[in-house]
Amino acid sequence: MSLRVWRVAVIVAAGALLGFAWNAFAGRGLALSSNAYIKPGEDVEVIQAAEAKKRLDEGALFLDARPIAFYNMSHIPGALPLPEDDFDRVFASLEPRLRNTLDLVVYCSGYGCEASHIVARKLREKGVHAAILHEGWPAWTDAGYPTKEGEQP
Amino acid sequence: MRALRHPALHWILAIGLGAVFIYASLEKIAEPREFARIVYHYRIIGPSAALGFIPANTLAVTLPWIEALTGLLLIVGIWRREAALTAGAMLVTFLVAIGYALAQGIDIANCGCFSVSGEGRAAGVKLILQDLGLLAVSAILAFVPPRAREAVPAATPIAAS
Repeated sequence: MSLRVWRVAVIVAAGALLGFAWNAFAGRGLALSSNAYIKPGEDVEVIQAAEAKKRLDEGALFLDARPIAFYNMSHIPGALPLPEDDFDRVFASLEPRLRNTLDLVVYCSGYGCEASHIVARKLREKGVHAAILHEGWPAWTDAGYPTKEGEQP
Repeated sequence: MRALRHPALHWILAIGLGAVFIYASLEKIAEPREFARIVYHYRIIGPSAALGFIPANTLAVTLPWIEALTGLLLIVGIWRREAALTAGAMLVTFLVAIGYALAQGIDIANCGCFSVSGEGRAAGVKLILQDLGLLAVSAILAFVPPRAREAVPAATPIAAS
């Protein structure tokens, strides 16, 4: 019995088809072409680093969704800490300011980080719209944009 | 080398390798969102990653089923050599992904090999060795054909088969 390489392609294709079918019909599907953290039907604004820099220069208020220790090490200049793990308490103290700011951008540690999406979702539940910086902190630093160390915004 | 061609050995290796692949697929199928998160973490595919044109979610949805189907074929013995080759190709892909993550200094706390939630296995040298072991098994199954069950007539040289 010889090795028939086309069968490998059939196995891969059949497996992929099963996966797509399961994704479509099992009721826990993912949006295939997008980010795992965006729930289907969710209305979120995700912006790239260049757009975020432009908004920062125009006076947008940035919110750092990472744990406070990361903020204290380094953050985007002018950003305020709004850690996802301490959202309710910090939001209460920031609420008047957030409600009076038109342009908000949330970021976190990028890649495996979900905090910016959670914070943006919680803000939306409170009636506050915030954009999400795509890939967060690494996208910002990779682009060579300014950062600031220490606890002061 | 004669022992490697023993049909019983092929059955044992195939069932073992197939079981590993099916076991690996179960939690990923049940929790696609968690698995997608891990796929993102490797930073190879998905947005602004090395291969950004492949959405990570698409891989997270399809890969577990390819694993499951491959495992099933290995166990039941249909298209076994090709299933073993598929398994080997997946293992090579995993090795490249782990190697890339380690080389880039990406800290993969959970490799997404078997468990996708909470505490998983970290990507490291041990994991690479384990994958190489599985790769050896799949290579035997794919490229060392088992002896035919009928006794080979004495006049037929083995090399000609």
